[in-house]
Amino acid sequence: MIEAGKTSATATAARLPAARVGIGGPVGSGKTALVERLIPALAARGVDLAVITNDLVTAEDAERIRRSGLIDPARVSAVEAGACPHTVIREDPTLNIEAADELERRFPGVELILLESGGDNLASTFSRDLTDFWMFVIDVGGGGDIPRKRGPGVVRCDLLVINKTDLAPHVGVDLELMHAQALAVRDGRPVLLTNCRSGEGIDAVVAMLESQVLFRA
Amino acid sequence: MIDVPTALALLQYGDSAYPAGGFAFSWGIEGLIADGLLDGRQDLDDFVWEQLSSRWNSMDRPLMARAYRAGDITALAAVDRTIEGATPSRPMREGSRRAGRALLGVSARNGGALSLSYRAVLADDTCGGHLPVAQAVVYRDAGLELPSAELVSGWTMVNGLVSAAVRLGSVGHLEAQRCLETARSGLAELLAEPVAADAEPWSFTPLIDIAVSRVRCRATRLFTT
Repeated sequence: MIEAGKTSATATAARLPAARVGIGGPVGSGKTALVERLIPALAARGVDLAVITNDLVTAEDAERIRRSGLIDPARVSAVEAGACPHTVIREDPTLNIEAADELERRFPGVELILLESGGDNLASTFSRDLTDFWMFVIDVGGGGDIPRKRGPGVVRCDLLVINKTDLAPHVGVDLELMHAQALAVRDGRPVLLTNCRSGEGIDAVVAMLESQVLFRA
Repeated sequence: MIDVPTALALLQYGDSAYPAGGFAFSWGIEGLIADGLLDGRQDLDDFVWEQLSSRWNSMDRPLMARAYRAGDITALAAVDRTIEGATPSRPMREGSRRAGRALLGVSARNGGALSLSYRAVLADDTCGGHLPVAQAVVYRDAGLELPSAELVSGWTMVNGLVSAAVRLGSVGHLEAQRCLETARSGLAELLAEPVAADAEPWSFTPLIDIAVSRVRCRATRLFTT
């Protein structure tokens, strides 16, 4: 019978594992647009990046990011969700973990891996075994009452992002009230406002990732 | 007779909630449904039996047993190479490796000594980590005897297939339970006949192989295979 040998502890300890950041939220809230804004902003700050997408029925988000010209396409992996967008990030995130491990093996200097969830509803959350930090993206077009519904995604994420702020007057949403209610249901934990089309608010998201995830001053 | 601790271990490792990525693999079901070749309970019963009798029992099972009996890491890797060479369909090979590596990763992270050792070897081996080998390693780490390991291997395959069919809308949740009962009888029949230690692996599931091989031709898909 086989005797279990020792793993290469020295090799493993030689470098820090990459921080893993989840990005979840409903379909169309702007998760991919946020990733497209974060990639150049983080790269400009010298962060070595890779991306994993969990498209629901296509590889469209992965292909969109690969073709964006913002990042080496080899650094973008797609993981199928088997019709279970919750499962692949929460109950059974093993395929995402393996994909992240593989990216770290192929790109030993990678510091940060963004994991974009397939679009889902307000109940999706990320496993703590998969991510070190996760954000949830909602948008004003989905309705100003989303925070009040207290979905687990809205309440439990490390950072709530309210996107498409520019649309608020056009869809009858009181953005100030929506922001205040989001802060209230989250007991004051972070809520940031973005307009991913113009780039407004992205610097604040990046600053939070730098301080809370990468521990840069 | 299986004792209670073993029965409980079987329930844990055979549970569809065991986190090893199995939910993302349909092993041809998605493609056959998309092409109108699998629809409803009878088709699913036939599909599951074909997978069980003409692939799992004749290929995966004997290779898992060979890996289970392997005397060293080199012998394990040899079983992996046999699977790689004997699986002409690229999506099938890749699916088997992804499923195997995911299973191995869970066991390694939970401290499975043999899983840790073999996973370390696979870091530099892009052709290894196939599901039957990973199952042998993980179930040995779990303390399961070979017959129990075979039981879990067969059951997780059946459970995964039927679960995929439910999510794809081919059968309802009640019909799925009847499919599982049918598959249970078939699996029990197969398990009653031990596999010879020197059994040569073979498989003959042409329609399924074609369905899996066409996975990349599809613009929309939910599953890895």
